[in-house]
Amino acid sequence: MTTLDTDLRPPEPSRLIVFWHRYRRNRAALLGLVLFAIVVLMALTAGIVAPGDPLGRAGAPLTAPFTNPETPLGTDQLGRDIFAGLFYGARISLLIGVVATLISIAIGIVIGALSGYFGGWVDDVLMRITEAFQTIPNFVLLLTLVAILGSKIEWITLAIGIVSWTAPARMVRAEFMSLRHREFVDAARNLGVSNASLIFREILPNALPPIIVYASVIMALSILLESALAFLGLGDPNYASWGNMIGQGRAVLRTAWYCAAIPGIAIVLTVLSFSLLGEGLNDALNPRQKKT
Amino acid sequence: MTVETPMTQDAKQPVLEIRNLRIALPKGADRPYALDGLDLTLNPGEIVCMVGESGSGKSLTAGAVMRLLPEPHVRVAGGDIRFMGEDILSKSEGEMRDLRGNRISMIFQEPMTALNPQKTVGWQIDEVLKLHMQGSRAERRAHALEMLNRVHIPDPASAYNAYPHQISGGQRQRVMIAMALSLSPRLVIADEPTTALDVTTQLQILKLIRELQEQEDAGILFITHDFGVVAEIADQVIVLRQGEVVEQGPAAQVLNAPQHPYTKALIASVPDLTPPTAKPVSEKPVVLSGTHLKKTFAARGGLLTGKRKAVVAVKDLSFELHQGETLGVVGESGSGKTTVSRLVTRLLEADGGEVRLAGQDLLALAPRDMRRMRKDIQMVFQDPMASLNPRKRVVDLIAQGPIVHGEDPAKARERARELLQLVELSPAAANRFPHEFSGGQRQRIGIARALAMEPKVIVADEPVSALDVSVQAQVLKLLADLRDRMHLSLLFVTHDLRVAAQLCDSIIVMQKGEIVERGPPSAIFADPQHSYTRTLLSSIPGRHWTPPVSGTDAA
Repeated sequence: MTTLDTDLRPPEPSRLIVFWHRYRRNRAALLGLVLFAIVVLMALTAGIVAPGDPLGRAGAPLTAPFTNPETPLGTDQLGRDIFAGLFYGARISLLIGVVATLISIAIGIVIGALSGYFGGWVDDVLMRITEAFQTIPNFVLLLTLVAILGSKIEWITLAIGIVSWTAPARMVRAEFMSLRHREFVDAARNLGVSNASLIFREILPNALPPIIVYASVIMALSILLESALAFLGLGDPNYASWGNMIGQGRAVLRTAWYCAAIPGIAIVLTVLSFSLLGEGLNDALNPRQKKT
Repeated sequence: MTVETPMTQDAKQPVLEIRNLRIALPKGADRPYALDGLDLTLNPGEIVCMVGESGSGKSLTAGAVMRLLPEPHVRVAGGDIRFMGEDILSKSEGEMRDLRGNRISMIFQEPMTALNPQKTVGWQIDEVLKLHMQGSRAERRAHALEMLNRVHIPDPASAYNAYPHQISGGQRQRVMIAMALSLSPRLVIADEPTTALDVTTQLQILKLIRELQEQEDAGILFITHDFGVVAEIADQVIVLRQGEVVEQGPAAQVLNAPQHPYTKALIASVPDLTPPTAKPVSEKPVVLSGTHLKKTFAARGGLLTGKRKAVVAVKDLSFELHQGETLGVVGESGSGKTTVSRLVTRLLEADGGEVRLAGQDLLALAPRDMRRMRKDIQMVFQDPMASLNPRKRVVDLIAQGPIVHGEDPAKARERARELLQLVELSPAAANRFPHEFSGGQRQRIGIARALAMEPKVIVADEPVSALDVSVQAQVLKLLADLRDRMHLSLLFVTHDLRVAAQLCDSIIVMQKGEIVERGPPSAIFADPQHSYTRTLLSSIPGRHWTPPVSGTDAA
C-alpha cells in the first residue's frame, strides 16, 4: 500500500556541519579563512612575540629588512620595529574592523527593519534620512566627523560605523519588504505575536544571511577607511596602526620603501581575507544562488 | 505555406517508443534511479498519460525525451528512446535542436514563467517559426495568426501584439499551445499543462488539446498528477511510483479496474463527487459570522502613470458558521475567497462590515485586544513550506502561540509534543526544522500549531492544494477527525469542488467577490441554481467517472 506520509525521513546533519561542508567547497574561501586566522593570531600574540612598546625605539633608524635579527623586518625613520608594529597594528585593524562593522550593521538593521516592516510614512522618513547620508561621500563625512570628534581611536571607530550604515540599511529593508508578506509572518501574527517580536524574532533571523555576508565587506572597508585616515595623519598617534605606519613611511618612500610597503601588504592581505571570507559565507549561507 | 511537414512517414509507426529507460540520479539522492525500466509506446493520434505523485520521475521522462536533463548530475543510464524510429539518445546536440520545437514540442505547467515577459506574444511565436520555417515575415505572421485563431483566442490580432501579462492565464496557456503546435509536431509533451489553471479554464484547455491533436494526428505524452484529468483525456495510462511503473494499460481499464494496490490506493484517494447525505439542519449556535464584509484593493499607481483602477475583492459578504460544522468557501482564483479568510482573521483590514466571534466584533477591537482574541480563531495556511518559519524548530513553532499568550514555556513545549502525536507525527519530529519534512508532514505541523491555541474556529485556506492526492486524503481525514473530536468549527477555503463535497456541511460559492449560491453540498451538487455554479460543476475534470470503491481491497 501507499506509505503513510507520517513516516519521518532520517534526521539531517546539524546546520553547522552542513554549513562547513558548503563553505569548504570554495577553495578561495578556505584561503581567506587561513589568512583571517593568521591576522587574528598576530593580534593575539603581539604581546608575546614583540614584548614592549611598539612605538619605542628598537634599533638604528631605517635598518633594511632581514639585516638585523633583532628587527627582522627592519625599522622606520625613528628606529621603531616594523615587525612589532605589524603585530600590534593587527590589533587595531581588527578592533576597528569588528567594532565599526557592529555599529554600522546595528544602525542598518534598526533603520532597515523599521522601514521595510512598516512601510508607508515610516519608510519615507527613514529612507530620506538614509539618502541624505548617501549623498555625502563616505570619506568626506568621515573626515568631518573626525575633525569634530577628535582623533581618538574610539571616536574614529564610531565615525567609521556612522558613515557606513546606509548600505546595510537598504539591504535589510529590501529583505524585510520581501519577507514581511510571507505566510509564516502572517502565521505568527495570527498567533498574536507583537510587532517587535515579529521584526526581531521572526523576520530578522531569515534576513540575516545576506547581511552577514555584507558585514565582511564592511569590515574590509572599515580597515581601509582607518588606514586612509592615518595616511592623512588623522589617525590616533598613540597606537601603532598599519595606516599610521604607511603614513609615516610615506616621508621616506624613496629611500626606504619597505617602511610603507610592508604594512601595505598586510592591509592588502587582510582586506583580501575578508572578501574571500565573504564569498565563502555567501556560498554557504545562500546555497540556492549557486548550482551545486 | 512552407512549413516542413514530415507527414509522409509511415502512419503505423509509433511516434515515440521508450524501452527500458533508466535515468540515474546523482550520488547521495534518496534513490539511485529517478526512473527505472520505463517502457512506453505512443502511437499517432494517441494520448498517453503519465500519472504519479511528486518525485515519481514523470517530469524527468519528458526531460529525457527532449534531451534536456540537467546533465551530468541526472543522466540517462540505459535504455532506448526512439522518436519516429530514430534513436534520440545518439543524436548530436545540433540534430536535437532541429527536432525540438519543430517535430517534438512541449507545453509547460506555468505559462507565465514559460513565456518571456519582455516580449510580445507574436514575437515569441515568430521566434519559433523563424528557427524552423522558411518564409517571409508576412507569411510567418499569417501562420502565427492562424495558429492563434486555431487555439480559439478571441482576438488573434490584438493577442499577437499583447505582452504575456496583458492576457489571462487561460489565454497564455492557449498561446503556449499555439506555439507548441505551430510547426505541426509529431510529438507533444504536455507537462502538467492545466495544473495552474482554474477548473473552467482547465476543461477548455483539455478540450482544445484533444481537438488539435485529432486534427494534427500527433502523439501526446501528457504528464499529470490528477486522476480527474486522466479520466478526461487519456487513451493509455502509465502509473509511476518512485520511478517504477506500477501499472500500465488502456485508460478505462486502469481507472475502473485498477490492479496494483498502489493504483487502487491512489484512485481511492480521489474524493468522490457525490457528497454524503446532508446532516439535519443545524440547531447549534453560530460561532463565527460575517456581515456585509467589504474589501477593495486600491492599486497605487506609479509617479507618472497615475492611479490605476481599484480592485473589488469582496463586496458585501455575509455568512454564518455554526459550532462543530464546516463551511466551505468555493470559487476560482480571483473570486475573493482567500481575501475572505484574511478578513475574518484580520490579517487584512476590512473596509466595512463585522466579523463576530462568540459575540465580539473582531473588526472593532483595538490591536491589543485583537491579539488576545486571536487564540480563538486560528488559521491553517495554503503553503506548508512558506507558513512555517524555516529557522525555528518544530516544537518552538507549535509552542509559540501558547507562550505568547502567557503559558509557561516548559509546559507549552510538553503540550507541543503531545500535539505532534495528535496529528500522527512521531515525537522525534519535535527537534527538527521544517525543511526536514515532506509537504504533508509540514501541513500536519501547521495544524498542530493551530490546535495548540485550543481555538473555537479554524480557518483553513486551501490547506491541501499543495499536496499529492494520497497525502491530501490523509490530511483531510485528519482534519475532519480532529474537527469531530475537538468540536471545532471550520471555515474551509478551497477551489477543489471534490474536496468541498466530501468535507463541508454547507458551501458558499463565490464569484468576483460575491456569493452566488449557498447551501448544503448535497443540494448544490444535485441541483445547482446559479449558472456559474453549473459551469463550475460541469467543468470538474473526470466528472463522469466515479472512482471505483476499493472497500473490497484485500491488499
